Amino acid sequence: MRSKIFIALAVILFAAGELFAHGTGFKVSELKAVSLEFFYSTGEKMSYREAKVFSPKDSKFAIQSGRTDENGRFAFTPDSIGQWRVIVRDEEGHQCTAEINITEEQLANHGKNIINAQSDSPEGLELFIRALLGVSLIFNLALIIRRHHAH
Amino acid sequence: MHISEGILSGGMLITGWAGSCAGLAIGLKKTDMNKITRTALLSSGFFLASLVNIKLGPSSTHLSLLAPMGLILGWGVFPAVFIALLLQALLFHFGGLLVLGANNFIMSISSLIIYILFGRLIRDSSNKILVTTLAFISGALAVIIAAFLVGLFLTLSDSNFINAAKLIVIAHVPLALIEGLVTSFIIAWLKKSAPEFLS
Repeated sequence: MRSKIFIALAVILFAAGELFAHGTGFKVSELKAVSLEFFYSTGEKMSYREAKVFSPKDSKFAIQSGRTDENGRFAFTPDSIGQWRVIVRDEEGHQCTAEINITEEQLANHGKNIINAQSDSPEGLELFIRALLGVSLIFNLALIIRRHHAH
Repeated sequence: MHISEGILSGGMLITGWAGSCAGLAIGLKKTDMNKITRTALLSSGFFLASLVNIKLGPSSTHLSLLAPMGLILGWGVFPAVFIALLLQALLFHFGGLLVLGANNFIMSISSLIIYILFGRLIRDSSNKILVTTLAFISGALAVIIAAFLVGLFLTLSDSNFINAAKLIVIAHVPLALIEGLVTSFIIAWLKKSAPEFLS
């Protein structure tokens, strides 16, 4: 009888242990996430767009995927040094790639967010200059073809 | 409406480039070199139209002017769109160089279909209401055809894109209506002020 009670108790304890093992929990992480903001060249935010994070170890398979928030923000927590890539794209083919270089110092210094992201698309004056350059190139090309044809 | 780099399969990239090269060859052969400035003007318009954002609820899109380009340039739309897309990829990072063939094929063929369907009707008609209506339909239809082709290229690359393809077509319906309005204004103005552009 004693042995049966002992076995029953062991089973209950094991089951309880399993239950705890499948439970959930959370804690506020001490790691500092890299938070990025994505936007179009016009300044408009890239809201609710598909985002993928590629670690320096594997450039083919995303280790994290999701969507930007209403303000075009997306955050991830790097755990190794090297070049991290975050690609955000919309359904129309616009794509922004943020390349973040994580150094050993930055990884060790979780308390300070000192990472500088670079904008992928031109904006403001640079956008205007590039648009002007594009139109100029098209008309110059047409002029060259026309002269060549005339000769 | 540009497809991004790294999405299409190798087969669809090759298909896009093959269609694009064939269209470019015919387009360059059929383009009147004395009217190359017209091609440059429309190519510039297409190049800059991508910077005009239109708010559609929580999302936004940009003009394409596919129908006016097709109706004015005919086969010449292939080189005009190609140059504009190449510069958009290099200067604005829209689309990409590998996917340039597919993007050019999708947009140019949509314009060309509009030219074949409506070009002569619009050119020969003197009825203002009929011309405006046809121009509206051609503007809207060009966007829908292009969106459908984008969806088709995506689905043929990977069948998992089928839902995204459906969404792309649905999402472009409001833009189609806007493009229809813009096209009807442009064509009505050209018929009145510069009908030689449609000849």
